[in-house]
Amino acid sequence: MPYHEFECSKCIPERKKHAVVKGPGEDLTHALPLGYLNTIPGSISERGCAYCGAKHVIGTPMKDVIHLSHGPTGCTYDTWQTKRYTSDNDNFQLKYTFASDVKEKHIVFGAEKVLKQNIIEAFKAFPDIKRMTIYQTCATALIGDDVDAIADEVMEEMPDVDIFVCNSPGFAGPSQSGGHHKINIAWIKKKVGTVEPKITGDYVINYVGEYNIQGDQEVMIDYFKRMGVQVLSTFTGNGSYDELRSMHGAHLNVLECARSAEYICNELKVKYGIPRLDIEGFGFEPLSASLRKIGLFFGIEERAQAIINEETARWKPELDWYKERLKGKKVCLWPGGSKLWHWANVLHEEMGVDIVSVYTKFGHQGDMEKGIARCEVGALAVDDPNELEGLEAMMTLKPDIIFTGKRPGEVAKKIRVPYLNAHAYHNGPYKGYEGWVRFARDIYNGIYSPIHQLAHLDISRDEIPVGTGFQTAKMLSDVNLSEEVVSSTTLRQYTGKYDSISDLRKKTYPEFKK
Amino acid sequence: MEDLKERIALLEDYIMKKCLWQFHSRAWDRKTQNENILKKATQLLCDESVELETPADRCYWADALSLTEAFHSRFEWLAALSKEDIKQLMEGLKERIDFVTITGSLNAELTDPRY
Repeated sequence: MPYHEFECSKCIPERKKHAVVKGPGEDLTHALPLGYLNTIPGSISERGCAYCGAKHVIGTPMKDVIHLSHGPTGCTYDTWQTKRYTSDNDNFQLKYTFASDVKEKHIVFGAEKVLKQNIIEAFKAFPDIKRMTIYQTCATALIGDDVDAIADEVMEEMPDVDIFVCNSPGFAGPSQSGGHHKINIAWIKKKVGTVEPKITGDYVINYVGEYNIQGDQEVMIDYFKRMGVQVLSTFTGNGSYDELRSMHGAHLNVLECARSAEYICNELKVKYGIPRLDIEGFGFEPLSASLRKIGLFFGIEERAQAIINEETARWKPELDWYKERLKGKKVCLWPGGSKLWHWANVLHEEMGVDIVSVYTKFGHQGDMEKGIARCEVGALAVDDPNELEGLEAMMTLKPDIIFTGKRPGEVAKKIRVPYLNAHAYHNGPYKGYEGWVRFARDIYNGIYSPIHQLAHLDISRDEIPVGTGFQTAKMLSDVNLSEEVVSSTTLRQYTGKYDSISDLRKKTYPEFKK
Repeated sequence: MEDLKERIALLEDYIMKKCLWQFHSRAWDRKTQNENILKKATQLLCDESVELETPADRCYWADALSLTEAFHSRFEWLAALSKEDIKQLMEGLKERIDFVTITGSLNAELTDPRY
């Protein structure tokens, strides 16, 4: 696996060891990009900061909590508009965002007083919410505000509230991943074991590393409930603060995003002896294997199999409709951390697309190991890319679509490459059998959008075909398909609802006898 | 011998592309995972009894059983092998997985003493 040097980064020679091409007959011991290091000066990174990783990725998806940033209001930027970790309590944690509104005078004279005032004010404004997380930011960490002491004072004065303090200012790590680490460790040290678990079932799990993006968690919880498995807590999407304090009561930790949450699983294993099972909610085969493994662990594999059979029969013909039309399309899989390995192989296998590049903004070398192992020979793997490298890769690899975040996604659009939002999704959820079909539909719509085809024309240069009519996506996608596929009576496009989550919230579930 | 190497490569390719258990974040965890899951997988392939005493055992076994089911469905030649051949094959596979994920790994975080 030779290292890959971008033309645009020749002036930053250190960048060379951050990119490799997967060569034929080579394995992970030949070359691995460097990872989880400070961004090299001169390279304009797409990363977030450690505060962002702690609060905006892991802390804030907790639903029944006032999430307060101790810093300027600008630090609370990521909320309703940029994040899509919804919840079943009317999205309280997304609709309301809190900051102590630190100003220059507080930097000079201290901001502890204004913090205390803000905490009390926030609890009074939302009297039904009795839990709070407070996040240290760069400015207040540098002036040495003792947030823990203030939180203790308030808890003494207001005994019905509980406060968690997360000390992960923006500079506390090379990327958001430093914040994931800090909040994982802080939560298990300060909060796990402080509430008695409410055990209502025979088979009890913590669902870890799941953030309920557009309802992902609720889709997976539906499967678990249908299996008779109690989800004691979800870390952290749609999760409840007090349930997460009782994580020590579970029989099994089921882990999805190892990048952001393996730390707490590993610590729960060491401290409480709860085993860690890595699972995948994306893609028919990985999801089926995951449900079956959970079933096997508890000795209820037939319940898992019943769900697998039912869901596969319902949704596979729809997935295959898209697969026929996506075969051979080139994809740059450029997410933040875990999706490069969750998606690299299963996208190729189940949707027929070719992954020509994987990258990770904040992943560690372990993520690259998994991602490179799972993609095909020839793929370009890049750690912590900058915008120019992304552009150069797209110019060279000519992908049909890229899956990434909204900032690099908008850059891609400028050179007429369509993108799907890999973090917050376009029309998610993407987990679950139906969700995987929704993802396939989004990819199809992205690649074959008639508007996108028009974007390839440059009115200052190209001849505009005024004599031809408007083409639909299906006219574009079916042009080279066999008659057998086009007129198939078994394959069909997505037939689910616009909103696939609301009905799940009204469902009732069978009671299983032990 | 070439035949054995080719077969190990096929099983390795499956594990690397489809499984996650071999990629825990620290060397000691990877060692435990590889050892327990591949040991139980070998026992399952050889129709030997598998220890299921502790929750950890059950967790390794769930991964091992899932692996052996996939091996059986993908590699028909497996059914024709003797128990001795299977043990030799799985030993070779474990050596290879240990090498790629631990001893030959270029991942600098594997030896970090803390999670």
